[in-house]
Amino acid sequence: MIDAAPGTGWYVYGFAADADSLEHAAADAGPIRLVRHDGLVAIVGEVPLDEFGEHELADHLNDPAWLEEKARRHENVLQAFAARTAVVPLRFGSIHGELDEVRRLLESRQSQLHGTIDRVRGRVEIGVKAWVDTARLADTLRGEEGASSSGTGREYLQRRRQEQRRLDEVRERCAELAAEAHGRLLSVAVEGVQNRPHPPELTGRPEMMLLNGAYLVPAADTALEAEVGRLAAEHGPFGVTYELTGPWPPHNFVDDRDGAA
Amino acid sequence: MTTLAPLEERLTLVDLVDRVLNAGVVLTGDVTLSVADVDLVYVNLRVLLASAGTLDRLCADSESM
Repeated sequence: MIDAAPGTGWYVYGFAADADSLEHAAADAGPIRLVRHDGLVAIVGEVPLDEFGEHELADHLNDPAWLEEKARRHENVLQAFAARTAVVPLRFGSIHGELDEVRRLLESRQSQLHGTIDRVRGRVEIGVKAWVDTARLADTLRGEEGASSSGTGREYLQRRRQEQRRLDEVRERCAELAAEAHGRLLSVAVEGVQNRPHPPELTGRPEMMLLNGAYLVPAADTALEAEVGRLAAEHGPFGVTYELTGPWPPHNFVDDRDGAA
Repeated sequence: MTTLAPLEERLTLVDLVDRVLNAGVVLTGDVTLSVADVDLVYVNLRVLLASAGTLDRLCADSESM
């Protein structure tokens, strides 16, 4: 049994398929320990409990500089391993007292983990975000509808009602555009998820986030990128722009089926 | 935080935190000493971005949550 030194715990970054090259990944990733069990590896690092203990962690999550540093560390470790083998990312902040507990985790999740690893092997996660300039979309819809302009009071009221209709139309069209984009991206991906779009106060952008999607694709495959290009061309006139992020380790494609507890 | 990150990096950071804290396998049970409280993520992200100096005004309300 290997206990962490007093005041420290074992932070589990993720699980991976065992491979000879993992020692190199561990070297790249900084002070990392590999816990092995039956072809599986847990990627762990020793962390101080005055930062990662139950109460301390909650406090630190609200410290932006700390969170940024640790979130980047988490991602960098996973990427160092993802470059060499199939990895199953864990959610941030999973700490254990003993390495034997980590070994037992590997044992109890053995078949699920092998299944997940087989599913994500040779595949990467690509993020696709779509943004809409709602003013531009409204203009385009107005153009489709045909311009009407006149100056009488009745026509003014009519225009007001039209404006309201246009707002509803903009909302509907946004939902349609997002659904179309996600559907088409799914058709060229192995799997995909639509995550909650970031609210404007987070993005700080004038455009609204229409789609916050993540797609699992074969590592060297460019079909998703090509489809994003086509979507961008077709949806451009509606004020929609697309953004790709990644490749990421498959963060969005390892949960649920692994059955958290 | 020492310097203000360029806009692009900050956006990447939102994506990063969105993945690192919102996705991935969640371990629960007796063996876990602690696990990040993921319900806090969006509050944290607001704090995170506000601290980067861009959204202080916008986030004034949410920071007091």
